[in-house]
Amino acid sequence: MKKLLCLILASISIFSLSAQQLPDVKVENSEGKIISVRELVGKPLIICYWSITCKPCIQELMTILDQIEDWKAEADFEVLAVSVDDSRLKATAKAKSQVFNKDFICLFDANQDLKRAMNVSLTPQSFVVDKSGNIVYSHTGYTPGSEQELIDKVIELSKKR
Amino acid sequence: MKRLLFFAVALLCSFVASAQISLGEKGGVISGSIESNNIVYFNDKALSTPAPDTHFGSNDFIKVDYTLDRFSAGIQVETYLPALQGYEIGLYGNQFKVVTPMIYAQWQDKSYSVTLGNLYDQFGNGIIFRSFEDRQLGLNNSLLGLRATWNLGSYLSLKALYGRPRLYTNYQTCWAGGADLSLSLGDMFGFNKGSLFLEGSYVNRYEKMSAIASKNLLNLYSARINFDVAGVTFRSEYVGKGKDFIEGDKSGKAIYGEVGYAKSGFSFTAMGRMLDKMNTPLTMDGIGTGNTLNYLPALTRQYTYMLANLNPYQINAEGEIGGQADFYYSYRSKTNRYRYWNFHLNYSTYYTLHSGQSKSGARERLWQDINFDVERQWSKKLKTTFLFSMQEWNPYHGYHHRTYVSNIFVADVQYKFDRKKSLRVEAQYLLSAEHEGDWVAGLVEFNMAPKWSFFVSDMYNNGRGEIGTKKNYYSIGGSYTIKRTRIQLSYGRNRAGYICSGGVCRYSPEYNGINIAITSSF
Repeated sequence: MKKLLCLILASISIFSLSAQQLPDVKVENSEGKIISVRELVGKPLIICYWSITCKPCIQELMTILDQIEDWKAEADFEVLAVSVDDSRLKATAKAKSQVFNKDFICLFDANQDLKRAMNVSLTPQSFVVDKSGNIVYSHTGYTPGSEQELIDKVIELSKKR
Repeated sequence: MKRLLFFAVALLCSFVASAQISLGEKGGVISGSIESNNIVYFNDKALSTPAPDTHFGSNDFIKVDYTLDRFSAGIQVETYLPALQGYEIGLYGNQFKVVTPMIYAQWQDKSYSVTLGNLYDQFGNGIIFRSFEDRQLGLNNSLLGLRATWNLGSYLSLKALYGRPRLYTNYQTCWAGGADLSLSLGDMFGFNKGSLFLEGSYVNRYEKMSAIASKNLLNLYSARINFDVAGVTFRSEYVGKGKDFIEGDKSGKAIYGEVGYAKSGFSFTAMGRMLDKMNTPLTMDGIGTGNTLNYLPALTRQYTYMLANLNPYQINAEGEIGGQADFYYSYRSKTNRYRYWNFHLNYSTYYTLHSGQSKSGARERLWQDINFDVERQWSKKLKTTFLFSMQEWNPYHGYHHRTYVSNIFVADVQYKFDRKKSLRVEAQYLLSAEHEGDWVAGLVEFNMAPKWSFFVSDMYNNGRGEIGTKKNYYSIGGSYTIKRTRIQLSYGRNRAGYICSGGVCRYSPEYNGINIAITSSF
């Protein structure tokens, strides 16, 4: 076990660091159709994982919703709200998503394939993805005010064009 | 020494792992995650459960994935040093354990995919099959085997899998697998104003049984019709199950139905489910919540407030009938986006199915919850939430005609001092003349975005119920987050009860201790 852990650590340490790509995983959209999340790449994306039982996740989405008009005036981007609710709560999550599905692209990852592929251990977790599909920023947890880092990163990406 | 080593490695990895790792343009990408949950237990004279002999528990996970174009592979190693108290993995020996690594290799093409290794999947609503991991519950029933999927455009998708199921830390000698077909009739007939799917699944489990069981092979099948059109959704599933030794060598069935309507800020959903002899273990030799081939969650509201979660509903797979309904309405001011109202109303109720489930032979109520919450954002700085829930539950799973009623009141206030600092306060009261009587609880949380968060909470039973305890459950802690790494430290006395995740619950004994949790991904 000791050897295995050291091997993993050593492997991590020797490689150069750069951006991970958004994985090519299929999820359900708000119309019930199965789409590949890579199809949504094209402009900067803010990806927020949430579930019905995750209060800070919903708080983060509602705070972004408060500010979305101001943010969109500063940069062209999309927000993906990815529900990881399983079959038990998917219907409730779809109902709840009515609050923000006009402003966000709502996705439903009921089997948590995308969550697993992006190595999300706990929610809330947010990512910023550039227009080429590279993950350029991520953050675990949500405290009021931390949403500002997401838009700052998106604005930084917009300036790089 | 092992503990120290793991802590050191986990902590070091957490800091090293602040970015993803690329092996060059054609070398692929390595990503992964680390999770370490540790509790140092103390003896507490006020608690009936003594601290474990080791006074320590640690559940740890390291997952590493490699992706190169359409190919991906990964490995997950778990250690239990030993398992945290209350985790059912301890039912299989609470010794120090390193679990056989979970591995997978996958080729994902445009119209097909092949996966070899540990498989996670679900057919339909999961009533006949779901393999999944839930670390909070200590549950992982993945199949070690082969899966293939194939799509014909958007018209048809087919998948099949087969393998040996994992029960906690070991793979079983039985086999499980099946196939799932989904036809998009909407796409086939050019119906573009919505979607219409006709679906079906078949699952089997093969286990060499003793002579008294009728068969070694258990068959399950399901048929589903789902459609979405103009804001209306409809989902339905019928499940048939062959004779199973666990259900007295009798066959089972389940019916699930769901309707919903949603339009600009308003939504309504209602669902109903009947379960009849649907307990389906991975193996007859296993025990624990994790010994399940299918997924039968409680279709009720799951709360995040302490007192509303004291007595969650647990399903009765041998026989229950019931459902729940949700109503949401959101109103946001057109002149000021920072001001809005959110209303939510929920109702759920469940009853026994068979006359043999109750002493009287009559259908007994197992559960009822009438609840609503109102959320009001007054300004950029102030938000309030009020929740009420009236829960009625039967502690005898319907055998006796006796239910307990709890009325729960919650007030939640959040105030933002500036862009980074905020305070959240919860006040909760549970009013009941029965069982444990009244409870009162409170929480204060102070956040300094994006890195720091601190909390203190307390929950007290006033001892006036039938088995009131006058016990105080306190907790204090904080967390530090830097990008994708989070470290949480807390100390407190924790109440015994059911830990629920995704509608599945496991019993956790009470304890007093320090909790250290580290999560990171790269």
